[in-house]
Amino acid sequence: MKICLLSWEFPPRIVGGIARHVFGLAKTLAKDGNDVGVVTLDFPGTPDYEEVEGFKVYRSKTEVGHPNFLTWTFLFNHFLEKRLAAANREIDFDLIHIHDWLVAPAGIGFKHFLNKPLVCTMHSTEHGRSSLHDPSSYTIDGMEWWACYEPARVIVTSNSMKGEVCGHFHVPGEKVDVIPNAIEVEKYDVGVDQWAVRRRFGVGDNEKMVLYVGRLVPQKGVEYLIRAVPRISWRFPEVKFIVVGEGWMKGHLEWLADQSEQRWRINFTGFISDNDLVALTKGADVMVVPSVYEPFGIVALEGMAAGVPVVASQVGGLAEVVEHDKTGVHVYPRSLDSIAWGIERVLSDKGYRDWLVKNAYETVKSRFSWKAVAKQTVDVYKRVLGER
Amino acid sequence: MSGYPPVSPRPELPEEFKFLCMLHNVGAINAERSLAVEEIAKWTDKELSTILEHLRKLKELGYVHFVNRDGADKYHVSVMGIRKVLTLYS
Repeated sequence: MKICLLSWEFPPRIVGGIARHVFGLAKTLAKDGNDVGVVTLDFPGTPDYEEVEGFKVYRSKTEVGHPNFLTWTFLFNHFLEKRLAAANREIDFDLIHIHDWLVAPAGIGFKHFLNKPLVCTMHSTEHGRSSLHDPSSYTIDGMEWWACYEPARVIVTSNSMKGEVCGHFHVPGEKVDVIPNAIEVEKYDVGVDQWAVRRRFGVGDNEKMVLYVGRLVPQKGVEYLIRAVPRISWRFPEVKFIVVGEGWMKGHLEWLADQSEQRWRINFTGFISDNDLVALTKGADVMVVPSVYEPFGIVALEGMAAGVPVVASQVGGLAEVVEHDKTGVHVYPRSLDSIAWGIERVLSDKGYRDWLVKNAYETVKSRFSWKAVAKQTVDVYKRVLGER
Repeated sequence: MSGYPPVSPRPELPEEFKFLCMLHNVGAINAERSLAVEEIAKWTDKELSTILEHLRKLKELGYVHFVNRDGADKYHVSVMGIRKVLTLYS
């Protein structure tokens, strides 16, 4: 099968989970014998074209910009469409698979001009991310509806997200396939000097390390973890918090940390390399995913694969990924007491912690492998192509 | 302890961050596409003094780099700055 994956994010242009998702999917589809082309936006230091892990990557330059975000989006879609056309002359794709609304105009144009089937994975919605709070937000919401209306099939990563797409955009349930996200478990089967990495990030050998990984934006709920720091450190005076990630809320979160008078316990690392991230995750005593909105929560899978107990908000797809009291601990979103309780539950009972970690690792390997997820995705492609 | 604090109001996007987004969206994302202050003023419709103040802060934080090209100081968003901007859009 000749497959085009269209995404505005692709490594090293890593923003949220989409870049890693598209990379993992492309790699597995190529390994299974498909001809895969990824069309994406450029990033400083990357080539216009390269072959990676058996698939082709075509990067598009946005030659003309505009200060307005939505105008910029439409402009880069125009340039993506040009790149897509050039890639299609080489590969003659059977279908195109778009990821989120940001690349929908290019994908939809491709569908109509070349009469090729379109599949869309909706990774989240504007309505869920930030409610519909301004005119741009309503425009994005409309674009997301369009990105669900045009494709032959819509893929979502959790049942929660299916409910959101069907409820908010009135997409018929039978048009939507639930295929979870996946990760490369092998990435975490590497020997790293966890103690050295911990020390490098300011965690002493006798201290407990609580890890947060994610964008520093409201829907990730990281502010509630920071506000819970005094309660957690009252119970565990030797605890340190590592906050990995970037985001526009960083200044506000640093201010909150200052207000807590526990700033010295919290290290905001910013964006870190993949190697450091793997090492830090493996070295953590607990990973916290305090999201208030989460269609899936791939970071929880990363913790589970790395052998770290996961404390996660009971929201959306995250509550499906982490099973309470079996593969992790659920806490109430926005509740400082609940977050502190979840962390204490894990840190204070080694037997319980080991049991969660063992169950979580087995679950990740069996349910969230790329092999399984790519197979389900190919089944959707076959269905779409068979219906033509 | 109540356990459920009031949800803090959505913090406003800092002005310099909005400016960083604009600089990113107009395409000033590497040295070759860096822009002089006057060019940035044309794109963003902001006062030169405001632009210089934003650039000073953003440079300090590592989100903007500057180069001297054709005898003029020109600015572009750094890789760290690009990542920062994209967190808003994802």
